[in-house]
Amino acid sequence: MNYAAVKRHPLLRSLLISLFSAILFLPFKDLKSSAILFAVLFICLSAISSVKNLQALPSLPKIKLAHPRFLRSASMPAGIIIFLAFPFFLKDYYLDVLIMSGIYMLLALGLNIIVGFTGLLNLGFAAFYAIGAYTYAIVNTKLGMDFWVAVPLSAGITALSGIALAIPALRLRGDYLAIVTLGFGEIVRLVLNNWDNLTNGPNGITGIARPSIFGTAIGKLNMYYYLVFIFVVIAAIIIRRVECSRIGRAWISIKENEIAASSIGINTTKYKLYAFAFGTFWAGIAGILFSSKMQFVSPESFTFMESVLILSMIIVGGLGNTYGAIAGAFILALLPEMLREVQSYRMLILGIALVLLMIFRPQGILGGFKRCTF
Amino acid sequence: MLNLSSIQTSYGHIKALKGIDIEVEKDEIICLIGSNGAGKTTTLLTISGILKPDSGDITFEGESLKNMPPHTVVNKGICQVPEGRRIFPRLTVLENLEMGAYSLNFKSQTSNFKNNIEKVFSLFPVLKERTKQMGGTLSGGEQQMLAIGRALMANPKLLLLDEPSLGLAPIMVSKIFKTIKEINEEGVTILLVEQNAKAALRLSNRGYVLENEVIKLSGTGENLLHNEDVKKAYLGE
Ligand SMILES: Nc1ncnc2c1ncn2[C@@H]1O[C@H](COP(=O)(O)OP(=O)(O)OP(=O)(O)O)[C@@H](O)[C@H]1O
Ligand SMILES: [Mg+2]
Repeated sequence: MNYAAVKRHPLLRSLLISLFSAILFLPFKDLKSSAILFAVLFICLSAISSVKNLQALPSLPKIKLAHPRFLRSASMPAGIIIFLAFPFFLKDYYLDVLIMSGIYMLLALGLNIIVGFTGLLNLGFAAFYAIGAYTYAIVNTKLGMDFWVAVPLSAGITALSGIALAIPALRLRGDYLAIVTLGFGEIVRLVLNNWDNLTNGPNGITGIARPSIFGTAIGKLNMYYYLVFIFVVIAAIIIRRVECSRIGRAWISIKENEIAASSIGINTTKYKLYAFAFGTFWAGIAGILFSSKMQFVSPESFTFMESVLILSMIIVGGLGNTYGAIAGAFILALLPEMLREVQSYRMLILGIALVLLMIFRPQGILGGFKRCTF
Repeated sequence: MLNLSSIQTSYGHIKALKGIDIEVEKDEIICLIGSNGAGKTTTLLTISGILKPDSGDITFEGESLKNMPPHTVVNKGICQVPEGRRIFPRLTVLENLEMGAYSLNFKSQTSNFKNNIEKVFSLFPVLKERTKQMGGTLSGGEQQMLAIGRALMANPKLLLLDEPSLGLAPIMVSKIFKTIKEINEEGVTILLVEQNAKAALRLSNRGYVLENEVIKLSGTGENLLHNEDVKKAYLGE
């Protein structure tokens, strides 16, 4: 089979690229993580190329969700009220899970800007999560900086690191960009693991302060829950706004067809940079919330599997759909906890569920991008 | 209006253009014909700034385009309809057209925008019937109309068309050519790349024949139509 045929056949191409990267990965990792990398790359690359080729496929059976208009407009406030009420009747354990799912929502919202809106596959998103988390951990423990001062700092430094990666990486396209971001993720983790003076290496940083409001530290879990909740709501509102602005339209046109986008006068490089900066910004916020909640960070929390998990969340929810990112993060953060009863099988069940979802609803639970009404 | 002088462009080590000179005057229709792989698309991509020439110069209304990025070229008034109907498949027809006006910063309500869209709809009435349909589900011919319509939304002074008749039924081909004439009559200068040499030359004021990475012949459409070499190589006579 010649090269052109390989290039044209998306499945074959995804297979070759995943195999190639897995083999490259082998010397650095054990066989198991190489196999995981292979499986993940293969599923993601074929999912993304199948979404891109969707219009060429026969139309898929549509699952209708909450169709009547009043239901759709009521679902948002209803959802918010339910989430506000959770702390009143949930046990601390579940509240803890919900806080983590809120942090994942922020991560998914951020990654969705890069992968879902702009179509730039990023396999190292956990690196930005780590940068946000470590920035607060370091400035708090070493300089005693307050949480609220550190929020813009963490988010800003993370966004800058996003730009720093994007400037060289955006010269690459598609699958190659994915491999570079993957490499970046590993580099950041290795740096955190080895820069003992600054990051305390694999032992991590302990004694990180909780945020305080009006001088009193947030100790109780339910207060923390509301804090994360507010961040998620603000993020969703801002992101939806930007999505519906000129910037968002430029992002979507780049994903839809990059050549057409530049032919109508869109500065594609600039908007891709914006996507990286804005997407990683939210990873920084998620990072600071994580380290201040755990009061401890170590490189272990920011592995490649974490990047994969965030990516799965937006694929499950529906690539390019802001609400989908939230739903996907909620489901994938909660599902493993709900399956705790069946312990050893839960990852297997989760995997099968994902594969089935991709077969029957490749556009994700909430489907592709949600139109803005202009 | 547009002037290419000894433009050389290459893909890596492969030279695709070896010194091209083309001149386009205001309000003209100019066509560029040549066999497959002659470098026609490369020429258009070089004008739009998507490819950078190795040497030579391009000027538009007296200003050099040589080091301009593609989006600035669009702002100067040059729009390209790329080869192969590159529309936005999952945006509706209307959204595709709105995106065409991106460089003008129009809001969909302004009268200017409405004017433009009405112009496009009167050129391509099919699009008006299908404003809510996804771009990707349009037929090939309709997609071509959408691609041209989208480029017109930016009020171009010069329109670059890359094989607009590609893959269309004969009746659609003549319709597209008629529309190109209409667009030209509204004051848009046109540089047309075509395989359909006969129809293109009939339509054009002047034409250029691109062969082996250089301009081999040029002249008025009429002259080229009667040139023996052109007849043999491109008109199949
Ligand atoms: N991205 C690329 N990389 C390398 N070579 C290329 C690339 N694009 C085009 N070429 C080569 O440059 C030459 C000119 O190509 P171009 O697309 O300009 O031809 P064309 O005249 O538009 O042909 P057609 O009528 O088939 O569209 C061809 O030999 C082609 O193979
Ligand atoms: Mg061509």
